[in-house]
Amino acid sequence: MSEAIAPSRLGRFLGSDLWASFKRSKTAMIGLAVTLLLFGLAFAAPWISLQNPYDPAQLELINSNLPPLWSPEGQAPFLLGTDDQGRDVLSAVLYGLRLSLIIGILGVAVSGTLGIALGLVAGYVGGALDTLIMRVADVQLTFPAILIALVVDGVAKAAFGGGLDPKATILLIVVSIGLSFWVQYARTVRSSVMVETGKDYVQAARLIGLSSPVIMVRHVLPNVTGPVFVIATINLALAIITEATLSFLGTGLPETMPSLGTLIRTGNRFLFSGEWWVVAFPGLALAGLVIAINLLGDWLRDALNPKLQ
Amino acid sequence: MSANTPYVQVSDLRRSFDVSKPWLDRVIERLPRQSLKAVDGVSFAIARGETFALVGESGSGKSTVARMVVGLLPPSGGEVSIDGISMVDPRQEAARRRLRARIQMVFQDPYASMNPRWRVAAIVAEPIRAFGLIEGEAAIRARVGELLGLVGLHADDGRKYPHEFSGGQRQRIAIARALASQAEFLVADEPTSALDVSVQAQILNLMRDLQDRLGLTYLFISHNLAVVRHMASRVGVMYLGRLVEIGGGREIFVNPRHPYTRMLLDAVPDLGRIGRARIPVSGEIPNPIDPPPGCTFNPRCPLANERCRREVPRLLDGVACHAAEEGRDR
Amino acid sequence: MSAPILSVRDLAVAFETRRGALKAIDGVSFDIGQGEILGVVGESGAGKSVTGAAVIGLLDPPGRIAGGEIRLAGERIDDLPPEAMRRLRGRRIGMIFQDPLTSLDPLYRVGDQLVETIRTHTALSGRAARARAIDLLAEVGIPAPERRIDGYPHEFSGGMRQRVVIALALAAEPELVIADEPTTALDVSVQAQVIALLKRLCRDHGTAVMLVTHDMGVIAEAADRVAVMYSGRIAEIGPVEAVVHAPRHPYARGLMGAIPTLTQGEGRLAQIPGAMPRLTAIPPGCAFHPRCEHAFDRCRTERPEPRAVGPSAVACHLYDGEAVA
Repeated sequence: MSEAIAPSRLGRFLGSDLWASFKRSKTAMIGLAVTLLLFGLAFAAPWISLQNPYDPAQLELINSNLPPLWSPEGQAPFLLGTDDQGRDVLSAVLYGLRLSLIIGILGVAVSGTLGIALGLVAGYVGGALDTLIMRVADVQLTFPAILIALVVDGVAKAAFGGGLDPKATILLIVVSIGLSFWVQYARTVRSSVMVETGKDYVQAARLIGLSSPVIMVRHVLPNVTGPVFVIATINLALAIITEATLSFLGTGLPETMPSLGTLIRTGNRFLFSGEWWVVAFPGLALAGLVIAINLLGDWLRDALNPKLQ
Repeated sequence: MSANTPYVQVSDLRRSFDVSKPWLDRVIERLPRQSLKAVDGVSFAIARGETFALVGESGSGKSTVARMVVGLLPPSGGEVSIDGISMVDPRQEAARRRLRARIQMVFQDPYASMNPRWRVAAIVAEPIRAFGLIEGEAAIRARVGELLGLVGLHADDGRKYPHEFSGGQRQRIAIARALASQAEFLVADEPTSALDVSVQAQILNLMRDLQDRLGLTYLFISHNLAVVRHMASRVGVMYLGRLVEIGGGREIFVNPRHPYTRMLLDAVPDLGRIGRARIPVSGEIPNPIDPPPGCTFNPRCPLANERCRREVPRLLDGVACHAAEEGRDR
Repeated sequence: MSAPILSVRDLAVAFETRRGALKAIDGVSFDIGQGEILGVVGESGAGKSVTGAAVIGLLDPPGRIAGGEIRLAGERIDDLPPEAMRRLRGRRIGMIFQDPLTSLDPLYRVGDQLVETIRTHTALSGRAARARAIDLLAEVGIPAPERRIDGYPHEFSGGMRQRVVIALALAAEPELVIADEPTTALDVSVQAQVIALLKRLCRDHGTAVMLVTHDMGVIAEAADRVAVMYSGRIAEIGPVEAVVHAPRHPYARGLMGAIPTLTQGEGRLAQIPGAMPRLTAIPPGCAFHPRCEHAFDRCRTERPEPRAVGPSAVACHLYDGEAVA
């Protein structure tokens, strides 16, 4: 196995058609640049933001409801203004971005793992197990993902009571997202697995007596990763939106630990009193992030799909 | 093991595939279950060190036989034994596991028969590691280099990926991998039909050289009669899942006895016979799901009579044909 | 021989890629006369299918004709606008492809496709076109054509479908038929029937045929003359007997020796070392020189042009005056 991992991966990548296609696509470059920028900002949030918006001790009520810096009443150092608690909007956006991304990535990881595992088993084992898994997937597809997330969330809240600490809430949202998005992975992986297992290299592996799990992990899985990667990218945007929606509806993260969705929900209240900046900047950040990731995902899908070329 | 026992013995091998429509359609349309007899009672033996070829057109069942012989596909009936060990009997599982290293297969499409994400060295080394034949990375690397040299490649080629090679070179790699576990019996399923003629000649010559050097036994599957003529010491001709004629290569090609073999030989466009007059061939292969009764070749056979339409001919003295049996074929 | 039906001079086809333009064929010239079958043979990548596609104006982009000219019965057709070229196809040039399923629309009855082709290209009325379609089906050997004409393609076997495609190609009595691997998808016993049919029809109708295939056996059976292609050039072109039994070009010689035949028995096959170069790395001079046992200095620098050797034309420096072979 060790020999399969190439030391010259980078060299191979730079010579590949994928890289050439990337260099040709302006939208892909913009998508990647914005995504990387937002990832970087989110990662660096604790070091670059003015205050920790989750720490009430750092907030001063005297600074409340300040507009952005470029307005006449704007005050340094609050670049994007503050909310009614005196919380710096830029800091809140950076921390919210961080939370949204963490939840999105974890959600994609959970749904991906679940979907890939079920898809591999369904495709490789086949028969009744395949039918069972795919029927469950079909039924689940008839419900919108957000509905499933709401149901999972509701059931868990009912089971554990309302008093969940923020960490447990994050876990709960991640699991809800994971359970709502696995179907697409499972379907894609299953069909790729069925194609790959028909190929002779899998037969050749069976001939030397390798067991099915070994063949799946060593031979089949690495050859079905392309489409999975595309789905994961596009689903990252979906997962972030889903988390924002849950938080906006009030079943997501609490106001004490705001994600972008929570910020939009709380900021919504100030729209009528004229403090537009409290909701506008989290909204812009969310839209920018989702669009950038989608651009990247669309390009990746086209680049990896030989039929579209 | 006595010298008289054949190395590979296949007796009354059968395989049918379920080709019924899904359950719901069957219930609604009141259709019965349907099965396709891909292989229907095939028997042959291969002596150690010889090349036995199965030749036939598409749908003749030759590839299905190959997959059953190596154990990739369980037979519906019949027996395959290699070096006295049954490939079918569940009680011989342990012996079969040891045997498995000695049987390998070369596939038709060298583009599909190796994992595209692995380096060639890892592909060739995989059987060595799987069977635990050699200990130590350096020793394995040396053996892989030796194998690549054996098939006419360079040891350094192991560092490349399959897509960096041409079709013929990939088929060489496939052969190196097949030999890696010290295989003595190779089943080659159309090993050159995806290759160009000049490359085909290289691979066929390589296979013959390796046979001479290592004493390999081949089961060679092909639709190309000229290739079979060139490679095989003995030949079996298949038509719709049955063996219609079996015998030495020279006899079959010089003096074919089954009307199908004759028709096939006459139909092949061949370089040696420009502008010759030929007997027009009639008809095409019938649907294998619903084959004609009696001898399956009877609708296309110029010698068919009432008995041929009723009774399946048995393989007698190397040919399964009522006309040959009754002496009507001359 | 009268004026050729198809005349190709110095044809070059280039493919634009991100690594620059690649010449798939370069300086290909040949003629096909009335009722003549020219076999174009070569291994994959030799440029034989590209040559056929260039003649009928169906090069897949980014491929384009980069030089030379193509004349059909004396008129230039390589520079025709796409619309004029489209009218030419089917009417004056018929086409037969490898897979009959791609040439037949599965949703239309066989008869409708034939009648449509006949009516597009001739002045026949509906009734007369149908009668002509039935005649055509009978001519290509389809039993009970009055009944089968109303069948769908999937109701025909592979061999019968290819017969229908041949009927379609001949429907408008074209002067030239391009057949690209017409028998490759068929079983051996059916191949022979299709070759015989193609050969008979072209004799009877005086149609010129360009038969593109990798199968030397098919060429030997069907063709009058053969062009052996290597790396986008014609290595040798001449009467089928001469090229098959007494090839002059070292590549053609190697190729013929590499093909196993039914008559020659076991024995070792002649083999040419190496493989055809990729388009990205065609050697200078004669493209075959790295694999050629007779190669000398000139072969490495100067590209050989075809010259008459006996009844054939051979592109090889060995035949420049003082023959070495």
